[in-house]
Amino acid sequence: MQATNAAAPPFWFNAGKLISRHRMRFARILSAAILLCTENVTAAAPLDVVEIAPGNFVHYGVVGERAPVNLGDNANIGFIVGSRCVLVVDTGGTRALGERLRAAIRTVTDRPVCHVVITHAHPDHYFGAAALRADGAEVIGHEHLSRQLSARARFDLGALQRDLGALAEGSESVPPTRTVAAGATVGIDLGDRIVEIRGWPPAHTDHDLTVFDRSTRTLWTSDLLFIEHTPVLDSNITGFLAVMEELRAIDAAQYVAGHGRSQAGWPQVLEPQHRYFSRILEETRAAIRRGDTLMEAVHRIGLSEKDRWALFDTYHRRNVTTAWTELEWE
Amino acid sequence: MGRLAAFANALAAAAVLACPPVQANQFAEPDPAASPHWQSIRTLMFGDREIVPDGEEVVRVYLNTRADDAATVPVMVNGLIDQTPERYIKAVYLIVERNPSPAAGVFYFTPDSGRVKVETRLRFEDYSFVRAVAETNDGRLYMSQRWVKASGGCSAPMGKNLIPPSLLGKMRFRIDDHIEYNKPTLVQVQIRHPNESGLAVDFEPGRTPRFVRRIDVTYNGDPVMNAQVDFSLSDNPIFRFYFVPTREGELRVEFEDTFDKVYSQSIRIAEGVVPTGG
Repeated sequence: MQATNAAAPPFWFNAGKLISRHRMRFARILSAAILLCTENVTAAAPLDVVEIAPGNFVHYGVVGERAPVNLGDNANIGFIVGSRCVLVVDTGGTRALGERLRAAIRTVTDRPVCHVVITHAHPDHYFGAAALRADGAEVIGHEHLSRQLSARARFDLGALQRDLGALAEGSESVPPTRTVAAGATVGIDLGDRIVEIRGWPPAHTDHDLTVFDRSTRTLWTSDLLFIEHTPVLDSNITGFLAVMEELRAIDAAQYVAGHGRSQAGWPQVLEPQHRYFSRILEETRAAIRRGDTLMEAVHRIGLSEKDRWALFDTYHRRNVTTAWTELEWE
Repeated sequence: MGRLAAFANALAAAAVLACPPVQANQFAEPDPAASPHWQSIRTLMFGDREIVPDGEEVVRVYLNTRADDAATVPVMVNGLIDQTPERYIKAVYLIVERNPSPAAGVFYFTPDSGRVKVETRLRFEDYSFVRAVAETNDGRLYMSQRWVKASGGCSAPMGKNLIPPSLLGKMRFRIDDHIEYNKPTLVQVQIRHPNESGLAVDFEPGRTPRFVRRIDVTYNGDPVMNAQVDFSLSDNPIFRFYFVPTREGELRVEFEDTFDKVYSQSIRIAEGVVPTGG
């Protein structure tokens, strides 16, 4: 080996310097961006909301599995503004999303939040609640919400923290201060606007609520209606189908589903979900009648629906299992 | 405390001791023979007795390898030898290796059981091997296993729907075929019972979890199958198994839970009839 060669730096040496200069500049830009983000978080950037009917503001969550990339923003949530105060319909999947919903409310009105409706105890709908009761709002839930929250919240919070890490910070469940019984409807006056909160028998869960703004005939179904997202069955399939019949009879001009959105009108928008559950119901009943076993039937039932829904592999077979364990007692 | 419960406690303690540190590849299927969970469970349950590791000519266990509801995972254990007085499977040990209480059930059979084919449903707390060990009447042990990906089934909140007290303990029988004497006949028994897991997050500390711990199936008083089970079985437990009808009589199922409550129900068996009721 010759000395001259050893003295000459390899060709990539300067290139390396160049890269590291760029990297330095990149790092400065990055830290500026992080600062900016941090500021945004402190100031809570308002969630995007759409006013689908006068006074009815909807934030559409991302149809997908909860992940840092979508911030756990996976459910449709929103608020209704009266001349006196504001009613919130679900609070988002994390405290941070709750803060951002609050910021969105502040871009529209200074009126206080007087009611927070928790439509059911699924984490994508309620973990932002703590951020929205600052005005001393009444928290409204189904009569069975408390039981389910105390059963699930710790488990669900652990899963939330695992999935979202720091993004889950401050998330907590808030027990209802007012309950609505299954089959009951409670009218809430927001000032020149009456909103009806209705409690349902077991369907998606055993503690579902819907919200209906009477003046604009806007129906907030929460997870009694899934669009695009595979419908989720966490309680009772025959109940879910029966509840859908009652929903169909509601004279709604607009609607907000729990997940997804559609151009279809009301009640036609119920059709895909109705077809989905009807198929599971029929095919599960037939399989049970034949004496099939759940182990093998779970791979067959409802497969014709596979290409019509997002997240099918995540939820479908679980739905079939839930339906099966109900229907085998018929 | 029943034999299985004592056993289960010992196993649970052993399993905790045996839990290895979490590894990077914790979700990959490990080597079934090298599983440290298995080594301690095996020693406790079977001492130094030899177990045929690939016992699939005698017993096979079937599950879906990826379960969608970790609290409701169907499992089937199939015995592949005929139940004859000369040679028969007298017990099947069903083990969910990484469950806090790994012995999900021990099922006992006789030559009169007709054939050994049992189905039920399991809870899974973590990705785990499920092992079925069959003991033949000559005392030999044969094993079959499957790796199942499912987790959270024991600590998951209880019941999506509450069982009304009036229904607790109610059973439902199902036999699809016309009874034909001397032919192994499939029976399904469903039991309304929460089969509480003491590990559920909402379980009040200090309370005894209410779960089924013993099931006895008899035909005209003779044993068909009996089992010692625990909360690794799903709520509203279900069992499918065989019996051999030989004469008119009664198929009876009795079970006992951890509240010392005994429930029983039976159906009439007669040639040429599809038994109903129960």
